[in-house]
Amino acid sequence: MKTDFRIVPIFAFLLFCLGSPQLRAQDWVHTGTNLGNDRIRIAAADFKPVGADPQTPALKAAFDATLYNDLANAGIFDLVSKSLSPQATPGSPQEINLAQWSDAPANAAMVAFGALSSANGRLVVYGWLFDTHNTANPQVLGKQYNEAASQDSARAVAHRFADEIILRLGGGINGIAETKIYFVSSRTGAKEIWAMDYDGQNQRAITRLGSISLSPRISPDNTRLAFASLGREGWSIRMYSLELDRPVAFPAGTAGGGNFSPAWSADGSRIAFSSSRTGDPEIWIADASGANLRRLTNFRGPDLAPTWNPRTDAQLAWVSGRTGEPQIYIMDQDGANIQRLTDGGYAISPSWAPNGQLITFSWNRKYGPGDPGGQDIYVMDIASKRWLQITHESGSNDYPSWAPDGRHIVFERAIGGHTEIWSMLADGAEQHQLTHTGNNFMPNWSWK
Amino acid sequence: MNSLLDGTQHLGAQLERELTPEPIFAPAAGSLALHGVLFGSLLFYGILSGLLHHNLWGNPGTGGAIQVSLVNALPLPAEQQNDNVLTTQNPSKAPAEPTPKAKQAVDETAIPIAGKQEKPKKQPAPKNKQPQPKQNNLAQFGEQAGSFMPRSAMAQNTASNGPVSISNGDFGTRFGWYVEIIKRKVSQNWNRYEVDSRTSKGATAEIYFRVSRQGVPSSFKINTASGSPTLDQSCLRATQRVDTFGPLPPESNDQWLDVTYDCTY
Repeated sequence: MKTDFRIVPIFAFLLFCLGSPQLRAQDWVHTGTNLGNDRIRIAAADFKPVGADPQTPALKAAFDATLYNDLANAGIFDLVSKSLSPQATPGSPQEINLAQWSDAPANAAMVAFGALSSANGRLVVYGWLFDTHNTANPQVLGKQYNEAASQDSARAVAHRFADEIILRLGGGINGIAETKIYFVSSRTGAKEIWAMDYDGQNQRAITRLGSISLSPRISPDNTRLAFASLGREGWSIRMYSLELDRPVAFPAGTAGGGNFSPAWSADGSRIAFSSSRTGDPEIWIADASGANLRRLTNFRGPDLAPTWNPRTDAQLAWVSGRTGEPQIYIMDQDGANIQRLTDGGYAISPSWAPNGQLITFSWNRKYGPGDPGGQDIYVMDIASKRWLQITHESGSNDYPSWAPDGRHIVFERAIGGHTEIWSMLADGAEQHQLTHTGNNFMPNWSWK
Repeated sequence: MNSLLDGTQHLGAQLERELTPEPIFAPAAGSLALHGVLFGSLLFYGILSGLLHHNLWGNPGTGGAIQVSLVNALPLPAEQQNDNVLTTQNPSKAPAEPTPKAKQAVDETAIPIAGKQEKPKKQPAPKNKQPQPKQNNLAQFGEQAGSFMPRSAMAQNTASNGPVSISNGDFGTRFGWYVEIIKRKVSQNWNRYEVDSRTSKGATAEIYFRVSRQGVPSSFKINTASGSPTLDQSCLRATQRVDTFGPLPPESNDQWLDVTYDCTY
């Protein structure tokens, strides 16, 4: 055999090229799984009051408490409790001693701090977020806010600063500190639509129809509210403009029979709802203006409570009673590819997670006479149909609704004849009761 | 007979062929030359890379390479029950105050009898031995320190084969928090149940992807296969499930970030 020696120099050159230092100008990081604890240990320092304005202490107290609660509720942080935080209130990057925060007992990986002053009716806040273990380049975030001085604006600024921190450290997912929750409340006698901040603060009535209004759904741009309401024409889908502060027309939702459970598509252009205008409750879709009405399902048995896949905006999940007890199904928006998700029991009120992979719903898995099960909130991975029960043995739970960050769920819980709104992390941890007055139902978390 | 003669002739020819020296000179020279060229090219490569290699591995200063090694598994205790007073809603385990014993009444009016020896009272042996109170059951004030290993302690371990290594640039040192986000988000999206249970423990798949300035990952590929196709695919899907890691830090000048990610079963 004859060897061709001409290729040897080529080999040598290739070898040289492969081993040569990487000429890329870009950075390279290498990371992996199983690398320890999941949550970021973060400390929220009390902000430093600057100036002698008599308003400052009250504003600072509202700001500090709101920031602390927002970070604690975010679901991605392990917040250093106030009793473990150093006493210092650093007001600027020059004043902070990082070792103080990174050492025991605080052991914080991140610290949020800053200064707050109010003068001439203006509230000025400087906020920073520092990585305590990186003494060379500690700054992760630096923000400045200038607002009219009031309790509400102090809370709003704290919400915004918390959202910035959550956006930065939560991997590009916006925080929910500025989101709203819409719900039905009967505290005034009639069932009206109400709204509140995500933490239960600032509860206020939206509608004053003096009738029964159910299942509010806020549009993705936060301008319109669709809900089912009992009026002269029976149950109809009605639309309420938050900008005009009055009802607006939605002609598709007023035909005879019952019209229930509206649901916005993620682009805000279409509304799916359940209507029994042809005799049997079926899923219908109309444009947000009320035009282009068309029927999606056509099967014996009720079809109710549609919800869009907010990720693809091309699929719907809904409740169907075509096989007896209500079950969760999914289909494409043209009515094709119907899949059943639940395998029995009594499953209602689906809500599709923002990432499109999960569905939360209320399920009584052992439904029937002589088999008293609990109505609990479940989360299901659609691809694998694996599910997880996230509320356990506490009241009857229904109407879960995902928060836009995909980490929180709001739901109603009935205990002893009293129904209230609760929120929790999507794994069932940190359950908080948000409403305490009257009966409150059917919460819906705004899209942003 | 003829056949026998033929046989011997044949044997002789074979013997002659085996005894004549083979022409090995040309192949030997070829082999020597090939080895010489290979050796020479290696030497050449060594000299050249020595001259041109500007990767300042391990040197201090910017642009150096840093090997950060996080420990694989922390020997942390499992979720401890928090017995602290201030951090739990349960009452503390502090022992109740002992009820004061009634003093033996001394009859002060009694006249002492001189020379009377008082009998030592027999102490009744306790029927059931009283359990010794725990020594360490005082109420502690303040929260227990979190069971978190300070990151500085992990970083001191500079073994080169650690799961996190950052090279070529200082992104990892300047924006360690961003690397943490990548780690956390992919880890959250990794479904271990997708992996075939026959996969050996410790098998590692390494995925490469590129993170754009806006934080969107792309160009996914399997860098190093683990030997288990299900593990490779599950790790690949975990990275693909992430929509965004959030924009790269504005202080960074990088247009993109190259990431390799290990999934260890």
